[in-house]
Amino acid sequence: MAKRPGSFSSVAQPVRSLWSRFAFATLIAAAFALMLLGKADVLLVERARIVVLDTLAPVIEVASRPAEAVTDVLNNIRDLRYLRAENARLTIENDRLDRWQHVARRLEAENRALRALTNFVPPRDIDFASARVIADGGGAFVRSVMITAGRRHGVTLGNAAVSGEGLVGGIVEVGEEYSRVLLITDLNSQIPVVVERTRDPAVLAGDNTRAPRLVYLPQNAQVVPGDRVVTSGHGGVFPAGLAVGMVTAITDGAIRVTPFVDWERLEYVRLLRTGTEGVVQPESANLPPFSVMGQETTTRTRGILP
Amino acid sequence: MMRPTATQRLDLWIRQSAPMVLTAILAVLSVITIGIPGYAAVVPGYTAMATFYWAVFRPDLQPASALFLIGILQDILTGTPLGLTAVSLLLLHALALSQRRALVTKPFLLTWLGFVVIQLPISIFAWLMMSVLQFRLIGPEPVLFQYLVTVLGFPVVAWIFVRIHRYVVR
Repeated sequence: MAKRPGSFSSVAQPVRSLWSRFAFATLIAAAFALMLLGKADVLLVERARIVVLDTLAPVIEVASRPAEAVTDVLNNIRDLRYLRAENARLTIENDRLDRWQHVARRLEAENRALRALTNFVPPRDIDFASARVIADGGGAFVRSVMITAGRRHGVTLGNAAVSGEGLVGGIVEVGEEYSRVLLITDLNSQIPVVVERTRDPAVLAGDNTRAPRLVYLPQNAQVVPGDRVVTSGHGGVFPAGLAVGMVTAITDGAIRVTPFVDWERLEYVRLLRTGTEGVVQPESANLPPFSVMGQETTTRTRGILP
Repeated sequence: MMRPTATQRLDLWIRQSAPMVLTAILAVLSVITIGIPGYAAVVPGYTAMATFYWAVFRPDLQPASALFLIGILQDILTGTPLGLTAVSLLLLHALALSQRRALVTKPFLLTWLGFVVIQLPISIFAWLMMSVLQFRLIGPEPVLFQYLVTVLGFPVVAWIFVRIHRYVVR
């Protein structure tokens, strides 16, 4: 650094040092004030966050492209190594899925017949939007991702985000073009679920580890490792029946669920635009995202919608 | 002494603002996804490394106000409570500055050791603050992992800082 010329510096130095100390203390105090303000859930803080997020998201989106290319290359190399094994596995799986398809079609037909018999009112179908994951809010304290869909695409607070494998999380910040998804592993994530086999209701509470805990289970619940856990739809925010994860560890302290989502390869998510009141957009109501069989179900939904 | 021309001044200004611009870029980079298993959970604290490096070697180019803004930026990007990273970076800056004399002329190994020691209370502080803000004690494992990754990754990142320090900032 170039020394400033002249005798002014001898006077200015102590003053400046005093000033810098004062400024430092002010900044620390300001940061603490912001923390409190944010904790008090002031709308202003939320707004400010969203504005900054919306402005910076395009930058991140551009910056994430090269990172994505690197990831792709890495994945390609990995895939090449296992190509033969993968092929064999897929052939077997395809066989198995063919049998499942057969079962599913039969069950679906049976289901339809039974519904017709009992005048069952089905849950309304859900409209969805797809978005790309551009940033992974890393760090030690928060599990969240930023995605390329916002208010303009009909996303609202609380919408569920799912990947091909299962539930990813819920929308917690909505910008104009971008929003933030709080992952189900986050400390602040609590999702009403049921154990699929026993129908025991519970809450899936994240704790920033990779396997969230199952809490508030009924006293007499009989949960064993391997049980699938799905959303219960209680509270009306998330639709019922979304796959969440599998019970993998039961210790005396906690029952842990390993989510189905492959966090390392989370590139795209689907947002279920249920809105807070679960309203359906009629124009795309014929694209139910969670039906077992693709084409056939469209006729069903058209027939039953009120 | 001759008055520097406009281009010279611009050149100097760009060189001198390089450290803070770099730290800001690192704040953005720390949210970019890379498909390494478990990476997101243990993203190293790039901004902490940068803050420590510049606090030790060029504190005059690291104004507290810029550090504050970068901390806020990172808080917004990662979704941590607003102000948490800002306080952490400022405290790290102040701590490193107070030990600067002991660190600046020493071989790199000792500087690294300095970072290992100084970053520890900062990480513990951040963990405690987060626990207070959540009204419950959060699991210490993620913070511990992040601390380890950050201090172990420091030499690699510092190597880049040394290059920038030498050829860009001067």
